[in-house]
Amino acid sequence: MTYELLNGLTSAEADEVLGLGTRLLVPAGTELFRLGDPADRLFLTERGRIRLTLPMQVRGREEDIFVEERSPGQTVGWSALIPPYRFTLTATASLQEAKVIALSREPLREYFAANPAAGYKIALNLAVVIGHRLQLFQTMWVREMQRTVEVRSV
Amino acid sequence: MEMLLMGLCMSVFGLGIAALAFGAATRSESSNSKPNAQPALPLVQAVAPAHFFSDRVAAPPPVPPAPAWPVPIEVLLLQIENHVRMEQAAAESFLACPTHAQLHSKTSSPFVN
Repeated sequence: MTYELLNGLTSAEADEVLGLGTRLLVPAGTELFRLGDPADRLFLTERGRIRLTLPMQVRGREEDIFVEERSPGQTVGWSALIPPYRFTLTATASLQEAKVIALSREPLREYFAANPAAGYKIALNLAVVIGHRLQLFQTMWVREMQRTVEVRSV
Repeated sequence: MEMLLMGLCMSVFGLGIAALAFGAATRSESSNSKPNAQPALPLVQAVAPAHFFSDRVAAPPPVPPAPAWPVPIEVLLLQIENHVRMEQAAAESFLACPTHAQLHSKTSSPFVN
């Protein structure tokens, strides 16, 4: 299994980072974290899929609306490394049980301080993950805006 | 003579009866006109509005009918999810090859068409 957050690390470095983590089983439909929760751990998806949702009012009811799905190897919960350390989405195991590796912020920071080269690579990988999310959602946002403009112009 | 005396007595008796009746009538009127002597009336309690045929069961207030949505909410949520997935795929295509045409390519998502 390769993890996007550990791209470019030597196998020894990757093993050291993974050794900091705790493996968790998330039963299908169970929340890994909720929007607004304190974010002190990020997660590497090892098995199954994690749905990311945001609340939206639908017909007067609050519903969790699908935003994105993370597959094995992908990262969930990078808010744990970005102030103010609060989750901005809700993460739930999809239709089947998921397995994740939870990495706590403080041990990671200590490892980065002791191994700056590995920390730099992980920081770059994290930037790729965050940057991709940003580009994806700005594209989706402008497409929705374009549709709104077209509807209002009719 | 006897007849005259009998008529006079009867007249005096009738006059006395009339005077008594008059006195009784005027006494009750004067006592009724005194405001302080009137007994205190009970306070009127709030009462329900009068209804005709009140022995019948009152009909419940009309409830506005639930809006008839064209699709159940579960279906709507699935449509939204499919729309998000399709839009993500379109955004991924744009990021792989960023052009104006890719950015504003028409979606085939039934949610907005």
